[in-house]
Amino acid sequence: MAIVLYFTQSGGTRKLLVPAAVTVMAVAAVIMGANGAFRLEVGTILGLSADSVFSVLDLLLLVYILGIGWKLGSRLIMGMTLLQLIGLLYLKFVLPGHDAPITAFVADGLSLIMVIIISVVGGLITIYGMGYMDLHEEHLHLRVSRQPRFFAIIFCFLGSMNGLVLCNNLSWMFLFWEITTLCSFMLIGHDQTDEAKANAQRALWMNVLGGLAFVSAMLFVQKSLGTLSTELVLQKMTSLDVKNTAILLPFAFFCLAAFTKSAQVPFESWLCGAMVAPTPVSALLHSATMVKAGTYLLLRMAPAFAGTTMSTIVALFGAFTFVATCILAVSQSNAKKVLAYSTIANLGLIIACVGINTAASMMAATTIIIYHSVSKGLLFMCVGAIEQRIGSRDIEDMRGLYGKMPRTAIITVIGIFTMMLPPFGMLIGKWMAIEAIARATQAMTPIVFFVALGSAFTVLFWARWAGVLISSSKLHERPAHGHPKTSVMFALRSLCGLAVVFSFISPMVLKTFVEPSVAAVYARFNMHTEGFIPGASLTGAEGYVWIYFLFILLGLGVWFAWREARKVPDSSHAQPYFSGLTAERNGEVGFKGPMNVFEPVRVANFYLCQYFGESTITRAIDIISTAFLVVLVGGLL
Amino acid sequence: MLTIFSAIGGLILAPLAGGLLTGLDRRITARLQSRIGPPLLQPFYDILKLLGKEPLTTNAWLVFSAYITLISSALALLIFFMGGDLLLLFFVLTVGAVFQVVGAVCVPSPYSNVGAQRELLLMLAYEPILILVFVGFAMCTGSFSIAAVFHLEQPLLLKMPLLFLALGYALTIKLRKSPFDIAASHHGHQELVRGVQTEYSGPYLALIEVAHWLDLILILGLCAMFWHTSFVGMAVLVGASLFTEILIDNITARLTWQWMVQKKSLLLGMGLALVNLLWLYVA
Amino acid sequence: MGFVDNMIKRSRLKSPWIVHFDCGSCNGCDIEVLACLTPMYDVERFGVVNAGNPKHADVLLVTGTVNHRNRHVLKQIYEQMPSPKAVVSIGACNLSGGVFKDTYNVLNGAHTIIPVDVYVPGCPPKPEAIIDGVVQALGVLKAKMGLGPQPAPTYMPGDADGTPDMTPNADSAPEQNPGTPQQNAG
Repeated sequence: MAIVLYFTQSGGTRKLLVPAAVTVMAVAAVIMGANGAFRLEVGTILGLSADSVFSVLDLLLLVYILGIGWKLGSRLIMGMTLLQLIGLLYLKFVLPGHDAPITAFVADGLSLIMVIIISVVGGLITIYGMGYMDLHEEHLHLRVSRQPRFFAIIFCFLGSMNGLVLCNNLSWMFLFWEITTLCSFMLIGHDQTDEAKANAQRALWMNVLGGLAFVSAMLFVQKSLGTLSTELVLQKMTSLDVKNTAILLPFAFFCLAAFTKSAQVPFESWLCGAMVAPTPVSALLHSATMVKAGTYLLLRMAPAFAGTTMSTIVALFGAFTFVATCILAVSQSNAKKVLAYSTIANLGLIIACVGINTAASMMAATTIIIYHSVSKGLLFMCVGAIEQRIGSRDIEDMRGLYGKMPRTAIITVIGIFTMMLPPFGMLIGKWMAIEAIARATQAMTPIVFFVALGSAFTVLFWARWAGVLISSSKLHERPAHGHPKTSVMFALRSLCGLAVVFSFISPMVLKTFVEPSVAAVYARFNMHTEGFIPGASLTGAEGYVWIYFLFILLGLGVWFAWREARKVPDSSHAQPYFSGLTAERNGEVGFKGPMNVFEPVRVANFYLCQYFGESTITRAIDIISTAFLVVLVGGLL
Repeated sequence: MLTIFSAIGGLILAPLAGGLLTGLDRRITARLQSRIGPPLLQPFYDILKLLGKEPLTTNAWLVFSAYITLISSALALLIFFMGGDLLLLFFVLTVGAVFQVVGAVCVPSPYSNVGAQRELLLMLAYEPILILVFVGFAMCTGSFSIAAVFHLEQPLLLKMPLLFLALGYALTIKLRKSPFDIAASHHGHQELVRGVQTEYSGPYLALIEVAHWLDLILILGLCAMFWHTSFVGMAVLVGASLFTEILIDNITARLTWQWMVQKKSLLLGMGLALVNLLWLYVA
Repeated sequence: MGFVDNMIKRSRLKSPWIVHFDCGSCNGCDIEVLACLTPMYDVERFGVVNAGNPKHADVLLVTGTVNHRNRHVLKQIYEQMPSPKAVVSIGACNLSGGVFKDTYNVLNGAHTIIPVDVYVPGCPPKPEAIIDGVVQALGVLKAKMGLGPQPAPTYMPGDADGTPDMTPNADSAPEQNPGTPQQNAG
């Protein structure tokens, strides 16, 4: 059942309504997940055929976007939306009618875990948003709170995301897709500054382009396969022996739609620009859920183009995005931009796995989707809290944060480590990805080359950030705790705990949700599983045991190290080495400079902008990636 | 069960072997430099002395990081001895390396920080190569498990000679040998005092040093995997690699990170790896 | 634990890492110190490694004239060394001010700033003398740890009672230049 919540909030009741709604949603999601896969027919809504209701909503939505385009004076948006409208109308009225009634909602393991992620992680982020937005509006000196609008849109978005991952009908999926585009546009521009509006517009036109691709895909699918049901589409596609270019064309368009939604190069500028939005927006939309919609779509559609050259090109494209954005992330000192690029990189990795299109890589892709959402959402929330406290997003300004915001700093460090270190889930996903790539048969070498290179770059920017956060010249920092908002800390703590625990039970998660769904997909569509043994994709039948084993050992190690570190007595404190000129002033360490003047210590990270900077390489990356896309689509025309 | 015991046994012996090999390294280096050099057991004296020093540190996080470095190196070695998954081994190794850097960054000292940044660049240089070498392993054996290597009849060296050379390149970096010792170097070549290890002192330096020994054993073990069919072959391979590393250390000077990453790592190291992989893929 | 303790103590004697600090000298002594590290004299035989970082070092080799400017640095380097540590004062300038004794800026010897364990006189002392000084420093450390007797200081002939002794010793080789005081490094 799609949970569609349209709320209009008002002031104080909001504080009660939001957590209540979130809890309901989260609990419902978990219960649904526990119940397992299901199919649900929705015949009628309010006496009208559900299909036509959705079609009308589709059209209305497009008209609304058209209106926005007109208000913004953007011919690009207007043009593309118009084309979408025409396409949709053509689809509804001109093309031969649908087949047997389409099952409305089909949920398998993948959908269910996505719903859980969306509801739980999204819910926590929304709670975080409560505390964050209060402070945010204080900072902006708003007299009339715009929070009702904010939360209404957030809930609308959560609802449509849930619907997106659950529904089976492509045109309904399109509705939800476009709703997310609209929500994203409205939320990016929430602060109503010039920069925000410009970035919102850019987000809008790129996503509308994706929407256009989606519509075209739907048109082609309806024309060639005669149905808009995802299930049936996949069934028909996988039963084809030869997949000629005409049949694959719609999937290329789906890929294009997914690429714009997931901000792959060359479309990454909208996501980086979207960082001007309030942090809950960044956390929710632009890392944990919305951008995952694109990859979700591709993951669903993947069996349709398995084993084709197009698939290989998609994989290469994903891998290229991965390495390109990792390199870009190294040169960034703006924390949100680092996170944005890292998100795009991981999405690229997911797409690379999708392109490889084997059962093992599907598992890897799903694992990465799940754990990336959790970790990235956490990190964005941390950055938001930090920014509100110290007034800056720059990593260099976060030096020594442990002294000012110890709990947040620790949670951020844990978040960083869940992103890149074993035994956490994200790393397990990356591990599975590399294993899957190595087993693939087509074009493996360049893909693994890109992934290996990109993976090395990720270590660079995560490690130095983690070190910066806990930098200090005092032996044991005993900082005065600030007074962060309860909701913010609650959300941060819970998500952090969730991230760790979730990673620990990752084998269980993988076994219950991911494997069955992947296996089922492959079984249903009679595809080879090629050496994919459930539970054994991680070395041997006891592969999963390693994760627990490692977790426990590393956990013990961490506990032991922590104890030892705590035991260091104050008498062991020494100042850093400055060739014998170490000096201290007001608790700040530095050295005695020329003329005996105290020089505070100044250290910074290597950002290497002249090699890896945005201005240096973005152009080249854009050109190469556009070439990829041209090859992808053009090759099929 | 037996594997776990033998793995733990290996883990206990590894620091001893690592120390002896390091001592041998210093002795041979000295001989190459027309000196006599320290006794073979010198590294053990060093470590024991360091353990007995008064513990002084700037920041308690450094202590934490030092312990984690050692624990992860030990874990990685444990995985290796248990014949586990190569990729998992690689990632656990990364934990250790990352924590050494984090420990160095968390002290507000320019020497330490610049050393840490350079260490990160070193990691950038050798990590992709290691992954590619492991992928090569997988292509030859059909699995990423180390145990699977022993099922092959022919030594891997025949199929992956170029990858072995690429591994040698990674070995040079991991052992902190010239020309790649830009982050922290043995033999007291100071450029940044002691680079990434500047602020680690006394017992904490001992922990880092033992972790380094364990890494040495691990990566020599990987080299040995290339000729798994005979013990003599393994010994020859390991001995030859070690000697070549020492030789290279003594005849080259330290160069810049740009040279290292751009020319040597990307072009030479990864190029070799790529060529070998393609060759394996085609064959 | 006693066994491990014992091992640690003995290892301290076998692995003296040095840090060399030049307070500001003509570099003559420094060159001699460096010469010790060369293959010719090869102090690595004794486990000596030039760790340029006081945080890693056990023995501090000080050369050069200590003055009001660099005494802070000297003190700090000494303090940043973790114990147990020893200090070897090398060269005439560092012992007592040498040629610059009693000038306006000079403090007469490193021992006014930090506790010195061994003095190696000379201008500059020969590398053998310096090595011997380090060995004596190890003896001092040994004594501090209770593993051996305090090493007896060795003096230049005649210094014990203040008068220079110009006569060559009966059991030593005939001097090229009689009248040059022998440099005795014990």
